[in-house]
Order: sequence, then structure tokens, then C-alpha cells
Amino acid sequence: MLAFLLRRLGHGVLVLLLASTVTFAIMLAAPGGPSVLADPKLSTIERAEIETRLGLDQPPVVQYTRWLGHAVRGDFGASFLYQTPSLDSIASRLPQTLLLAGAALVITLVVGIPLGMLAAARRGGTLDRLVAAASGVALAVPVFWSGLMLVFVFAVWLRLLPAGGAMTEGGDATLADRLRHLLLPAVVLASAGCAEVFRYTRSAALTTLALPFMQVARARGLSAPRLLWRHALRHVLTSVITVIGLQLPRLVGGAAITETVFSWPGMGRLGVEAALGRDYPLVMAVTLVVSAGVVVASILADVVQMMIDPRVRVA
Amino acid sequence: MRRRIGVTIALVTLTFVIAMAVVGPELYHASPVTMDLATAGTGPSATHVLGTDESGRDVLARLLAGARVSLTVGLLAMLLAVTLGTLVGTVAGVTGGWVDALLMRFADTALSVPALFVVILVLTFLGPSVGTLLLAIAATSWMGTARVVRGELLVLREQPYVEAARALGVPQAMIVWRHLLPHIVPTILVAATVGVPSAILTESALSFLGLGVQPPAASWGNMLSGAQTYLTSQPLLALYPGVLILVTVLVVNVLGEALRRSRAPVSR
Amino acid sequence: MWLLLGVAACGGGSESTRSDDAVRLPIINDPIFNPLLAPDLGSVMVNKVLFPGLVRPDESLRPTPDLALSWEVSPDGLAYTFALRPNVRWHDGAPFTARDVKFTLDQITSATSGSRLRSDFAAVVGTDIIDSLTVRIRLEAPFAPLLTLLGYNAGMLPEHLLRGGKLTGFTAFNRSAPVGTGPFKVEKTTPGSSVTLVRNDTYYGTKPGTGRMVFKVVPDINAQVAQLRAGELDLITIEPANLGSVQGADGVRVLEVPVVQHWYVGFNAAQPMFASAAVRRALGYAVNREAIVKGVLKGYGDLPGGTIPVALRDFHDATAPRVPFAPDSAKALLAAAGWVAGADGALHDATGAPFTFELLVDKGNPTREQSALAVQQDLARIGVTATIRTMEFAALVRDRLLPGKYNATLIWWTTPPDPDQFSFYHTAQDNNNVRYSNRIADSLLSLGRATTDSARRREIYRAFQAVERDDPPVLVLFYPREIQAVGTRLRNMPKLGIRDALRHSEQFRVGK
Repeated sequence: MLAFLLRRLGHGVLVLLLASTVTFAIMLAAPGGPSVLADPKLSTIERAEIETRLGLDQPPVVQYTRWLGHAVRGDFGASFLYQTPSLDSIASRLPQTLLLAGAALVITLVVGIPLGMLAAARRGGTLDRLVAAASGVALAVPVFWSGLMLVFVFAVWLRLLPAGGAMTEGGDATLADRLRHLLLPAVVLASAGCAEVFRYTRSAALTTLALPFMQVARARGLSAPRLLWRHALRHVLTSVITVIGLQLPRLVGGAAITETVFSWPGMGRLGVEAALGRDYPLVMAVTLVVSAGVVVASILADVVQMMIDPRVRVA
Repeated sequence: MRRRIGVTIALVTLTFVIAMAVVGPELYHASPVTMDLATAGTGPSATHVLGTDESGRDVLARLLAGARVSLTVGLLAMLLAVTLGTLVGTVAGVTGGWVDALLMRFADTALSVPALFVVILVLTFLGPSVGTLLLAIAATSWMGTARVVRGELLVLREQPYVEAARALGVPQAMIVWRHLLPHIVPTILVAATVGVPSAILTESALSFLGLGVQPPAASWGNMLSGAQTYLTSQPLLALYPGVLILVTVLVVNVLGEALRRSRAPVSR
Repeated sequence: MWLLLGVAACGGGSESTRSDDAVRLPIINDPIFNPLLAPDLGSVMVNKVLFPGLVRPDESLRPTPDLALSWEVSPDGLAYTFALRPNVRWHDGAPFTARDVKFTLDQITSATSGSRLRSDFAAVVGTDIIDSLTVRIRLEAPFAPLLTLLGYNAGMLPEHLLRGGKLTGFTAFNRSAPVGTGPFKVEKTTPGSSVTLVRNDTYYGTKPGTGRMVFKVVPDINAQVAQLRAGELDLITIEPANLGSVQGADGVRVLEVPVVQHWYVGFNAAQPMFASAAVRRALGYAVNREAIVKGVLKGYGDLPGGTIPVALRDFHDATAPRVPFAPDSAKALLAAAGWVAGADGALHDATGAPFTFELLVDKGNPTREQSALAVQQDLARIGVTATIRTMEFAALVRDRLLPGKYNATLIWWTTPPDPDQFSFYHTAQDNNNVRYSNRIADSLLSLGRATTDSARRREIYRAFQAVERDDPPVLVLFYPREIQAVGTRLRNMPKLGIRDALRHSEQFRVGK
């Protein structure tokens, strides 16, 4: 177990190093350069001063080794756009990202798995067909569109929910207030993953219900609900957990669009802003933090699977 | 029975959408890019069958041209990804050993990095164009194919007839080409049906961030994203491309599902 | 869906957010609280509220007293002596004095402070403290725009907090705990979300009319529109394309204000094709500006004469003719310059080379993209082929505009409310990206920035606009008006562009 962890960690460090090199190379090769230098009103002297201050006058290899030297000591440099340490910017966004991703994950599980089980239990029934159709649509609608539609329906026309932000700015950030702000973006972010988990659960449950031990249990006269929720569910979960693991990167790093539509102060948007503004230190920091998070999460997912399902052994 | 009807409907719809992209622009001659501010935002008329958008461009002409672009992006990105995935999967599955381990670690890594973020990074830095778009989408979506192809090959290569061919001294490449690949074509087809809708959706998401197909060229994605501005004043502008994306993705997913089902009899 | 409704119902609707007395405005990114460091719009807006300057613009954009009560200009125009307002306190209670003014000006002109305002104040050679409430700014040459610039972005900084260090190094001040003298002070910052300002009860001017000012980070314009319509924002500035989504909406009215901008097609005069004044004039005649203002701007813009916009009422020559739409004159001028139409109507020179060029536009802005398409179509009608290339603004500026590697670009200048365009159109100046060079224009631009007498200045800039009619430095398309979509609860906004209006934030009121 320990050796396995060490090996995975070593592998993770290599991945991060590779990711940082590639990102840095693409970034410096790109046309335009940092947007802080793109102000046409800057004079030649001012421009040169900024380049010197940011170290952009150095050759790429020097810039990279300098960056790496600082990075291994935990210093990711000051963001060009915000002029504060990149890690501070990330730290300030991380709680909101985790909140949104967590909420979306909960919705995904609480809605996707039970519906999948029920649909499998009554295969071809009304519920099965309705939810299957809904999941088809959920997988086929661009989130920016469904997001803005929901904003218009619930915030502009019905005035039931806020149109954006993580809480009422300048007002009382009560729990209810935060929940109301969280609801729409979490639902939108969860929609596609929810549909996938539903489909996977349904098909895994169908497979399980057809297994010999289930047939036997049924023949022994176990009630259908008990059969479904006590025996099949456990079996289904072990395989569904892989699908859930694959949702994590999307929830953490792929939320940029949902975050933009709902003005949610998360990491995805920070990453997009950094990329669009050519904010080298911030891009590097976001890339590394997101990748590191995913690496750790995937190790955790493996560990969890090993604990749930003793048959899975590490090679 | 009902399922067969569903598949038929899906097939007919898909044929219609493809026909729309292929012959549409040949039949309907209005320009998708020429703007005319004098007639901007007008409803359907004899000259503009579905009316004009905010710049006075013909909406129908843009939908047809956009169909070409979006379906091309979907198909080519899928082809690239599936080719790459098959290649990696085949090499890994046939060679085995440390090459296999390395390639699969690589695939795992790629799977664990948030795809959208990577695509955004690549596109902001390399500049958005159809070429970079295809590359970026393919680079983040080949892993699924690679994994299933490898998995199937691991089983197939132990089959008696393959061992027989090997014993007869048939070259490795020939074995792969003649005896292994034909058996995994259905698997690849299933992967393909997943790739097309996902590429179409990715393009539309990127359009929202200004990184998709660049105007004035039309894609369903950039039409839908551009129409967000007119959601209340000209809702139809968002409706047309939105419905087309929805229907296309839905239909391809239905077909993919049917294909998968025909291969795995249990999970009906 | 039921889940949505359930949570919505127990939350009790969004009425609670609408009854408090906070003004809510959008910004698109987290601000840096230092007017000397931050060039982005979000920072500029917040800093206008937090950090008043010595003067501020009135509704005619003339400088009026703010932290300075009065000022005197020496007869040679080389020294400005300001009498500061007494009893002004920083947000932390420390008194505001001449030392702060000297500190700020020294930082602005310092090469090492990270100041982004250095070139604006290049004429300043030193600042003297006469007594604690009197300060003198010395210039190396007379510089008429000084007062305007002091009221533009040059907010005053507290010496006692920022002394001895690089401005960029004061992270806490710059990002979360700034101290200014303005009518509102920072109460709370939430990165990525908002900056909440609260009324400054020791403000030196009239008591601020609202309790709070909230700047919400809302990067997407369609999200801004939705939040305005949902009552979560009180004022947004929009593009003409967004008009349809706010016009006629409940609780929203649309205002327009002329702003100090000119939008233009800049031709690279260093390239032989565009060197001739007659050619540039001809291209100008070929463009139907009225159609662009009507079609693209939906009427929210003014037709141009020269490069000095109508918002500068004192200097814009309103009596001069607008640039005419005269495709036939354009063709005649081009023919005289050696460009003749071939059988297909396309223009060729004597060697048979066609008149074609690449027109660069930054991507993502529908107004500029549509304007570029309109220009392209108008030029095609006289046989000139423009190929439009859209690219990222940063790449356009750094890779093409600054090194002079371009034919033409559709772009704009936003300037302080002063007619000085020396750095844009004087020969060989840093910002003269179009490589315009006209000796008469050069001397008028030099004279104009050195002349403090406003009547004489007006004559000089009239003469400059007359030069522009014969030898246009750029093809001015229009002067846009800022379109403000305002929630009905926001009242008492000065009739100014949002940036200048924020210099008067104590006047804003909310409520029925």
C-alpha cells in the first residue's frame, strides 16, 4: 500500500513537471504576450520598464528555470494582472470552487443514482422513459445556453432566485442567501454529469439484477425494494465510483462556463481570465494547482475503490 | 419494436441534418456572411426565408453554412481523436510490456486533467482557428478510445486463430491489420458516436468564450453564443441553432446507444 | 424543478436585495486599489470613488475644485500653485496635507514606482511644499492639459502609509485595505465577487447620498443585463447590440452621454499606399458613416469632423462640415492619385497592382466587427478590397500595431477630456501608430498643449481640425455615445460617462 502510494506520488510529480514545461512553452510561443503590455497608450520607455520588472526581457529558458526555482520553494510569483501572489488569488477562489463542485457532486449522486436504480427496476416504465429522455436532453444542451435561460426564467421573470454571484453583495450573507445563490449554478454544472451517472447506474443495475446471485435471492422471495436497495445498490456503487472519479476534473477545472454565466467567483473563471490576459504566473499556478488537485483526487479514488472492493488489487 | 422506431427516426433525422449541410448551401443561395444593416433583424421574407440576424445576414444561410462547419468540426475532431486513440490503443495492446504501461499512464494523466481548461489554454495561446480547434479537441478526447481498443486487443491476441497465425510466421503488422483490427471496428464505431456530439458541444462552449469558430464564419456554436445578446429581443436567433445542436447531439447519442446495445446484450 | 421552486420559496424572493440603500455597479475583474498602478476599467472605476484628485470634471468636463480649492498659474505657465482644502482626513483619520500631494506626484513621475501615468505627467519636473496646505507643481514647459489630467486618473495617495517602498509592493493596501479621501471607503473585498464600499462619514464634501456602493464582478455582458433586469445591478454600460434586451424592460431606462472617444480606421502612412493625403481623404469619402451610426450604433453616436470629439464642447468645431459621404469624389481623387478602375471595377495602379489591404479588428466586440464589415463593403463599392482579419486585442497591439506591421486597423482612442492629441498625431511620437506626419499639424499640436489661454487654445485646435480636413491623420468613423442602462431606483447621476460620473459618487441616490 505504502509503495503504491509512493509510486503514484512520484508519477504525479513527473506529470506536474511535464505539464508546467509544456504550458510555459506554449505560453511564451504565443503571439501577443501579456495583456498588461497591450495598452496602446504606453510609451516605449514605460513598456521597457514593465518588461524588465516582470523579467520578460530574459530568454525563455532563463525565465523558465527562474520560475521553476521559485516554484519548488512554493513561490509562484505575483500575478501580472492583480500584482499579488498567484497562490493568494487561487486560495481566495478555492473555497467557492469546492463549494460549487461539492454541491454539483451531491446533486449528481443524490439525483443520478436513485433515478438510475428506479429506472432499472422498472425498465421501460414511464419513469425510465421520462428520465432517459431528460438525460438525453441534458447531455445535448450547451450549458451556457441552459444557464442563461434559467437565469432569465428564475431571476428576471419569476424573481425567485438571484441572477448571479455567490451571495447578496453588501447584504447579509445568511445561509439561506448562499443556498439560493448556489442552486442554479450547481444544477447547471451537475446536469451533464448527472445524466451520465444516471445512465451508468441504470445499465450497471440491469447487469447486476441479471446476475445469478440476484436471481437466487429473488427466488428465495426477497422483496423487490430490499433486493434493489440492499443488495444490488452495493454492487452497482463499486462500478459507478469510477464514473464519478471521472467527473471530478470537469467539476473542478471545467466549470469556467458555468462560473462565467453565474458570475461565480471560482477557479475555472480565474484560469480563463489568466489565460485570456496572458498572465503567465497565474496561468502556471492555476494549471499546477488544478492538475495537482486532480492527481491527488485520482489517487484517493483508487484508494477508496480498493477499500470498497477488495477484489481490486494494485498491480 | 418501439426502440426500432426510435432508431429509424434518429437515422432519418441525422440524414436530414447531413443533407442540410451537404446540399443546403447549394440550394439556398443567400450569402451567410454578407451583412446589410438596412435589413438587420427583420423577420422571414421572400428574400430571407428565416429573416436576418443583428447584422442583416441571412439566418437560414448561416444555419446551413454553420451545419457544414459544425458537422465538419464534429467529424474531423472525432476522426482525429479516434485515429489517435486506436493507434495508441493498438500499440499498447499489441506490444505490451513497458510500452503498454507508459502509454496507459499517459492516457490516465490526460484523462485526469480537466479537458476544457486545457483546450482553453491551447486555444488562447495558439489562437483560435478550425485547425487548432480540431487539434485541441482531439488532444483531449482520444483516451477513451485508446483504453477500450487496448482492452479488446488484450483479449483478442490470446485467441487461438491469432496464435495460429503467429505460429505460421505471419508478420505482426499483418496480424494486426488482417486479424485484429477488423474485430474492433464496432468498438471504434461506438467511440466515434461519442466523439461527434462531444466535439460539437465543445465548439459551442468555446464560442461562448470567444474561442470557437471565428466570425464572420458561421457555426451553430457561435450563432447560439452570439444570440445570447438578443435572447429577449430576438429569441428565434437562439432557438434555431440551439435546437439544431440539441437534435444533432441527441440523435447521434441515440444511434450510439443503439449500436452499443446491439453489442452488449445484457445491459438493455 | 420542484427543488428549485422549494429553495426559492423559502428564500423569500429577491426583494430584500432591492430595499437597502446600496448602489450596485458591475466591474469585470478584481480591482487594484491604486490609481497610479491600474490601467484596467474595473480598477479605474473603483479608484475614482476612493481616491479623489486635486480637481474633478464638471458636466462640461472642465476641471473644478476637489481636494484643491483654488489654483494659480504663473504668467510663464511653468508653475501651478494649489491651495488645498483644509480639514480633509484620510479614511484612517490622518490629515491630508501638501506632503501627500508631493508624494503622489513624485510617485507618478518616478521611473521605478511602477506608475502607469508617467507619460501623462512627463512635463512635471518637481513638486514643492509651500506650507501644509499649499503646493506648487513645476513644469519644464507650459503644459495646458495638466489640470485635466490631475482630475482624470491622478487620485491622491496617502504618504504616511506608502512612504519608502515600491507601490506595487503594498499588497494589503492595493488589494484589500486601501485608504483614500473619497466619499466611500472599503468595507469588504471578496476576490472574484465584489468590493463593498461604505459611506465615509468624515467626507469633506456633501454627505454621500447612499449608505453603500457595491462593485460586483460580472464579466459577461449578458449576465450583466440579466442582473440589471433582476434588480441586482443599478447601472451598466452596454453596447448598441444589447439595446434590444434592455429597451422597454420593466424598471430600466436607457441614457446616453457623449464620451471623449474617437473610433477610426487608421491607415499605416509609412506604407506607400497610404502615404498620400489625397488617398486617405478619398477613402474617408467612400465610407457611409451615417449608415454605420444608424445601423451599427443604432443612432447612439455622432458624425465626425476631425479627431476631436463633440464631447469636448469647447474645442470640437461644430460649425465645420462633417466628413462627406461622396463615393464619386473618392473615385476622382483616387484616379488623380493613379488608381484607375479596371474592367471588373477594381482599382489598379500603373503597374497593374490592385488596391487591396488587410484591415485588422480586435475580436469579440460586435460594434467594431460590424463597423469593419460596413467599411469593407463601402470600400468595395469604389473598387478597393479590404480583407478583414480579426485577432486578439493584445496580439493586434503588440505584434502588429506597435511595430508598424499592418496596413490598416479599426480601433479607437479614449482620451482625457482635453483636446491635446500630441502623442497620437505629432510626427514620431510614441503613440502615433499611424505614422502620421504633417508639419502644420505638428506645430499646432505643440502650440496647443503649451497654450493655457482657453480662447487662443480653441483657435489653435480649430486650425488643427481644418488641417485634418485636407490631410486626415485617420479615417474617423464616429464619436460614440456611452449607453447607460439604469435601474429606476438609481437617481441623481450626473450627466457624464460612468468613469467621470464616479468622481461625483456622493451625489448618487437610490430609492423610490
